[in-house]
Amino acid sequence: MLVLVVPPWPAARELLRNCWQRLQWTLQQSRPGFPRPPWEPALAVQGPAIFTESANDTNGSKEVSSLLDSIFWMAAPKKRRSIEVNRCRRRNPYKLIKVKHNIVVCPECGHLKQKHVLCGYCYENVRKETKEIRKEMGKLEGGPFKAPTVETLVLYRGETPSEQDQGKRIIEREKKRPSWFTQN
Amino acid sequence: MRLSVAAAISHGRVYRRLGLGPESRIHLLRNLLTGLVRHERIEASWARVDEMRVFAEKLIDYGKLGDTNERAMRMADFWLTKDLISKLFQVLAHRYQGQNGGYTRMLQIPNRNKQDRAKMAVMEYKGNCLPPLPLPRRDSNLTLLNQLLRGLQQDREASTHSSHTPPTPGT
Repeated sequence: MLVLVVPPWPAARELLRNCWQRLQWTLQQSRPGFPRPPWEPALAVQGPAIFTESANDTNGSKEVSSLLDSIFWMAAPKKRRSIEVNRCRRRNPYKLIKVKHNIVVCPECGHLKQKHVLCGYCYENVRKETKEIRKEMGKLEGGPFKAPTVETLVLYRGETPSEQDQGKRIIEREKKRPSWFTQN
Repeated sequence: MRLSVAAAISHGRVYRRLGLGPESRIHLLRNLLTGLVRHERIEASWARVDEMRVFAEKLIDYGKLGDTNERAMRMADFWLTKDLISKLFQVLAHRYQGQNGGYTRMLQIPNRNKQDRAKMAVMEYKGNCLPPLPLPRRDSNLTLLNQLLRGLQQDREASTHSSHTPPTPGT
């Protein structure tokens, strides 16, 4: 009849482990064919996980220091990087800002622009004018969701619609026609 | 043969992912397209405008099928609001009845002024009533540089022509 009690504290666990190992060893010596099932019925022993972790924990006394050691396996530079090496890394072409060769002068206004992009100044003029025109359109429509089913025409001061512009909605703007807004 | 897909690599994938998912992407493009049909010129981020361009041109093709066509009416009903359906069938389809495509114009504008500095584009339906965009224009043929280049091209053609012709009179 085997009764096993599992004490919670580590020192007594260590003692128990040693006793159990000694017991197993003596049993092995006495019975050569050791792992033989028919033992007499005994109390089933709750062999907890401390026995499975005995292999890991054989150096239990050095447990604390190995844990402390394992925290410090981290990467650290071995030598100070010299200024030459640092300069090579910092001034490598991939880190430098690339020079743009696609900046040209806008022929209309003379500001700088990128070749494949619209001129910012000219587009800003266009945006301002469209905003004014849309304000006038909003006044004519008088509310949301009232888009007209006819074309629209924008006329500046002193202009009249031609014969092909009959039937269009007219937007009047009280200023001179801008030079870049040609009338077709 | 690639049997698995690495998670963060998208080499060669051509389809854009906008919004929160495929349905959200269609709703985004529908909003942009409605705005374009209403205002005839719209500026938005370049990727969205590029996606929307396909739908804008296809919508005009559906509009050309006419008011009475059932499929065209269903398309217009999904993509546009009620007041713009009539604008599509009466104004836009009539404007482009002679053309077979190329109803829209898309140009890149300077990056957005907000912190994201996003790549923006402007798209408009051609032939609208608004002030014209500063389109890129080819230089006239009468500038000095172009005249010199034309002269060079003609000289080259003349020399190749004269190098080809001598063998034939010998026969």
